[in-house]
Amino acid sequence: MFLSVLLALAISPEQAEFFERRIRPLFAAKCYDCHGPKVSKPMGGLRLSSKSGLSKGGDSGPVVGGSADSSRLLRAVTYKDPTLQMPPKGKLSDTEIADLRRWVEMGAPDPRTDSEEPSQMSARKGIDFERARKWWSFQPLKTSPTVPGYVDAFLMEKLKEKGLKSSAPADRRTLIRRLSLDVTGLPPTPEEVALFLQDQSSQAYERLVDRMLASPHYGERWARHWLDLVRFAETDGHEFDVEKPNAWRYRDYVIRALNGDLPYDQFVREQIAGDLLPNARPEAAIATGMHFMGEVLNSPVDALQSHADRVDNQIDVFGKTFLGLTLGCARCHDHKFDPLPTSDYYALASTFYSSRRRQSMVNPPSEQIQMKQVALKAATNAGPPKPGANSSLPAGYRIFDDFNDPGLPGWTATGYAFHQAASDGMVDSARLSPVLEGQLISDEVLLVERYVHVRMRGSGLVRFLAGEYRNPNRALKADPTKGFTWQRIDVKMEQGQLAYFVLEDSDPLGGITVDKIVFSENPKPPGEDDPNPPPVQLDYAERVPPGIFALTAWDNNPHDTKINIRGNPSNLGATAPRGFLTLFSGANQVAVPGSGRLELAEKLFRDASALVARVMVNRIWKHHFGSGLVATVDNFGLSGDRPTHPQLLDTMAQRFIDSGWSIKNLHRDILLSNAYRMASTPEPQAEAADPDNKLLHRYPIRRLEAEALRDMMLAVSGSLDRNLYGPSILPWLSPAMEAFGRGKPKPGPLDGFNRRSIYIQVRRNFISDFSQTFDFPQPIAAIGKRNVSTVASQALYMMNGDLVNELARRWAEKTEALAGNDEEKIAAMYETAFSRPPTQDEFDLGRAYLAGHDHSWQAYAHVLMSTTEFAYVR
Amino acid sequence: MSGKPHTRYVNTRREMLAQCSHGFGGLALAFFGAADAARAASSRALNPLAVQPTHFPPKAKSVIFLYMDGGPSQMDTFDPKPLLDKEHGQPIKMKTPVTQFNDVGTVMKSPWKFKQHGQSGAWVSELFPHMATCVDDLTFIRSMVTDNSEHTLANYMLHTGFSMQGRPSMGAWLTYGIGSVSENLPGYVALNGGLIPPGGIDNVGSGFLPAAYQGMLFRQGANPIANIQRREPSEQFQRDKLDLLGKLNKGVVGRLGATPELDAAINNYELAYRMQSAVPELTDLSKESPATLDLYGINDKSTEVFGRECLLARRLVERGVRFVECLSPAVAGADRWDQHSNIVKGHTDNCQATDKPIAALLKDLKARGLLDETLVLWGGEFGRTPMAQISGGKFGRDHNPFGFTMWMAGAGVKPGITYGSTDEYGYFAVENKVHIHDWHATILHLMGLDHKRLTFRYSGRDMRLTDVHGEVVTAILK
Repeated sequence: MFLSVLLALAISPEQAEFFERRIRPLFAAKCYDCHGPKVSKPMGGLRLSSKSGLSKGGDSGPVVGGSADSSRLLRAVTYKDPTLQMPPKGKLSDTEIADLRRWVEMGAPDPRTDSEEPSQMSARKGIDFERARKWWSFQPLKTSPTVPGYVDAFLMEKLKEKGLKSSAPADRRTLIRRLSLDVTGLPPTPEEVALFLQDQSSQAYERLVDRMLASPHYGERWARHWLDLVRFAETDGHEFDVEKPNAWRYRDYVIRALNGDLPYDQFVREQIAGDLLPNARPEAAIATGMHFMGEVLNSPVDALQSHADRVDNQIDVFGKTFLGLTLGCARCHDHKFDPLPTSDYYALASTFYSSRRRQSMVNPPSEQIQMKQVALKAATNAGPPKPGANSSLPAGYRIFDDFNDPGLPGWTATGYAFHQAASDGMVDSARLSPVLEGQLISDEVLLVERYVHVRMRGSGLVRFLAGEYRNPNRALKADPTKGFTWQRIDVKMEQGQLAYFVLEDSDPLGGITVDKIVFSENPKPPGEDDPNPPPVQLDYAERVPPGIFALTAWDNNPHDTKINIRGNPSNLGATAPRGFLTLFSGANQVAVPGSGRLELAEKLFRDASALVARVMVNRIWKHHFGSGLVATVDNFGLSGDRPTHPQLLDTMAQRFIDSGWSIKNLHRDILLSNAYRMASTPEPQAEAADPDNKLLHRYPIRRLEAEALRDMMLAVSGSLDRNLYGPSILPWLSPAMEAFGRGKPKPGPLDGFNRRSIYIQVRRNFISDFSQTFDFPQPIAAIGKRNVSTVASQALYMMNGDLVNELARRWAEKTEALAGNDEEKIAAMYETAFSRPPTQDEFDLGRAYLAGHDHSWQAYAHVLMSTTEFAYVR
Repeated sequence: MSGKPHTRYVNTRREMLAQCSHGFGGLALAFFGAADAARAASSRALNPLAVQPTHFPPKAKSVIFLYMDGGPSQMDTFDPKPLLDKEHGQPIKMKTPVTQFNDVGTVMKSPWKFKQHGQSGAWVSELFPHMATCVDDLTFIRSMVTDNSEHTLANYMLHTGFSMQGRPSMGAWLTYGIGSVSENLPGYVALNGGLIPPGGIDNVGSGFLPAAYQGMLFRQGANPIANIQRREPSEQFQRDKLDLLGKLNKGVVGRLGATPELDAAINNYELAYRMQSAVPELTDLSKESPATLDLYGINDKSTEVFGRECLLARRLVERGVRFVECLSPAVAGADRWDQHSNIVKGHTDNCQATDKPIAALLKDLKARGLLDETLVLWGGEFGRTPMAQISGGKFGRDHNPFGFTMWMAGAGVKPGITYGSTDEYGYFAVENKVHIHDWHATILHLMGLDHKRLTFRYSGRDMRLTDVHGEVVTAILK
């Protein structure tokens, strides 16, 4: 205070008057709405209503000082810079601007003493991590010894507090249907039901649980839950909905991992850094496709912003999926609730900025060994590569690479076709052997000139990927019947952006040769095409398996990004070194050599394993019981819900860790509990005491998700193809989808070739209409809990939809072909759909209906499919 | 936070109940006692589309958004710029930002002549002879700005207030905020004229809000929505099936106990059954007079598609539907308002397809006394540049998010005024800028909602249509 008075005295009376008469009123009238004393958080961090606020400036730095024209204040009010215009509502008058200019030229004298707003003067408090760590989910696990039946013991304790009892056990038919739909997503066959009913041993239920968990359909069912978390989709969305090549391999990876009970920690490590893990199986790299399942813009005007948005989505999915933390909230400011500073967000951003995507060869090790042997033998026959001679280019042409250095610096290969030995002044994927496949991917380069020229030959492709531009048509192809020709790309739209090249040989009988990649402003190629035919392909004796490629991550150009002030990628603050959250791993983390994904995976399990375990246990619980012990399954932070049964959650989490992160073990603990085996029948007294069933006094009734409902209809109608894995089936296009506009795929079959729904391709802009109608979540963010809505379009779909009517027809056809009378046929239908015989009433209603309607089995089947019992697990 | 009237969570059984009741209003009461019914009727928690109390008295009951897909050119329609005539063919004398195609040419004058119209003297180019007769009912905003110069992102911003896929659209926010009074129709309808905007149906989606709030896309023709047409050979045949379904469901509920979830699912079929007749009744224009059909241009090939959309919009509003969006028409020869080349033909076709129907809608609403309770909005996702783009010798204009024109009409807005302005080129808004966030805030305000209080808890945050932005443009309010 004393100091400011002194400083104020240094201002001449004329200056003070000028400020009071011309500047302060102007600030008050035109700026205080956003930068005044009454706003608790001034826009851009700038407060003009106090001397200290003015001298401190905003998030982007000082606003006055230096020459008038270079000051941020003048730049803003003169509206010369389209990105910085203040006041945003409209330009100040010329007089007002002139006043401001004069004042800044005086040195921005400010006679205020700041007594007006003392509360705003203290510096922003940092995060108190010690205090923050007291939040329940950041605490170490508080476990109790586990005895058989521990799950029920914890639940009973809470029920007793309310004077409640758990419901009676469900009957065996209900139980097997529940278990089968819950664990495998398919109804039990009548034979499976009969087998279970006949098994009189005390181990009958336990054996059933084991059979269900061992079913290959378990992986299909639970992979779909996982895919919701990683916003799995096989296209980029946006305007043209471009396909993501080989995205489906990630889906198969998840199914295989779950069926094989891959330990959860390994499952997570592989997804974060499967391409980097020491001694990883080649398949582990597929898991890293997780990072790239998000939306991608096909031609962003602001490439920087677009990249930042994509990284934001990667961080958001990472945070929610593994940690139940809403990290995305710390993009523009420190997290409002959780101990997550903006610097942590950008530490993760640095890691994701250092991780690019590519296609990698992921053949099984045995095949890769075979390919490698072929490559080595061929390399020996071909002799060592020779450096090429420098050839001169006409003026105005700039070499990106002439491949004269056989070491191929700046390029990274996958597969065996592109190898250092394949470079002889040019890179030739068939030099070793035409049977080998692979890709060669370049480092990124800034596009300066307008044209790219490539001298190339053969049957492969040179893909060009600028910034986010992923149009698959942007690939150069040579005429395989000719010798070297010059091919050209016009990159006018991408000038000023980073781009990279991918040389691709996916032809098991051929290859690609690239001699030079050249930039120029001149559309004409720098040389002539080769009039000679291509060299005769050598005959080859050995065959190798075709290459298997998958969308994976790779570390390239690891670097630290800077904090984007207020989330604006053009407004940079301090550097944020690659690292994990301060909350868990502390403030001083050792610098990492690569992208930091490998270290991220390690730190996640070294420093945050309690939270990681809690989040996953809760997810599994949620899918078995309809809601989690923590209701906000994707948010374990301070704005999320607290657990209804904290001890149960922690005890299960500890058991999960102790079991070597076995997910199937976790399922077994839950499925063998009495709670899971309760009846779902509501009773008025219990409903009144526990209306939301938070204490689990009965088993909750739940509607099947879109995928399970469709799979159920396929199964019941006798159509289901039970094969696992493989490329996706294109979605059927309903008449409404026919009109959806750009990026429309070829229509798939109505019944999806009877494959399970998880194999129907997820196209962002063309989600299968059945899924769309029944609450399939938009693949944009991690979704651990889907909305369950009941809207008329669902009933209309069940009544009048093509698919439902077709499957009802097939079910009727199958039923009519059965031996027996009407009564037996009705009974068979009930066994198939509901795993129980019909009641006498149901018999009577069925018989009467059929008699009165010309024995229309199709109509009857359609009605049964539409019943609530059909679509609900109870 | 939880004390806020419009903060919602999706985890309670009440919420579950709400989502399980039905898409549409009025019917959620079946499974409550009579004493609860009255309370239930007013609560969104029990029926997602039950009418909700507003934050303050609303000016408008419904919104019709005439969406001009692609970005109409402001300097060729409602914002005349004499400087363009003067500097035609010269390089523009100002710093210009990067544009979508980045091949900007020289300044290009408008190929169309402007005249003042009506008592308000509003400027309209000769492209809109019909709309020109309505200017005294219109409120022009010449200072619109948005964030992106690329269709998809700008469309998401325009429709959802956020330049990325997956947020709820303004129609969804509105029906979430105040519910709907329509019994047999959805609260939010998007009429598809054949052009789905870049960004797809997410432009009318419900994002993280429950599906009950999503825009239902109506196709053209006799069966505007999916699966609306009965497949059974007769109505009786279908009725018999539904009766059997009802009995079987009742039996199961009887044995296993009633839950709201099951009851809601059962009632849903009856609603769907009624929709099968309500929707054809809506789209059947045979009871409209020949004069009305003529007014909307339904007997003329070039105006038929959008004329039908505008007429349907009126019929939807009459039936209590809360938000109607008319998507741009696909008429032979006409594409979006997105002419990077040959804007002369393009804009002429676009105007021909929409001008007469829009004027008809305004006049018809007014004549029926509906304009006082309906807010009509016109505009695209951005405007166009004052400089030319040349392709094949034919001139066009590139995208311009920095300044463009939209108009509002009807309930609560001052008619016959022009608000805000662009610079002399018509490139940047300079006076009274109105960002899309402000536009959204103003629309919600007119419907009786405070955009800062209309929130939904998602991803750990209380989300808003206006994110953390937006100010009501009070200067244009009555």
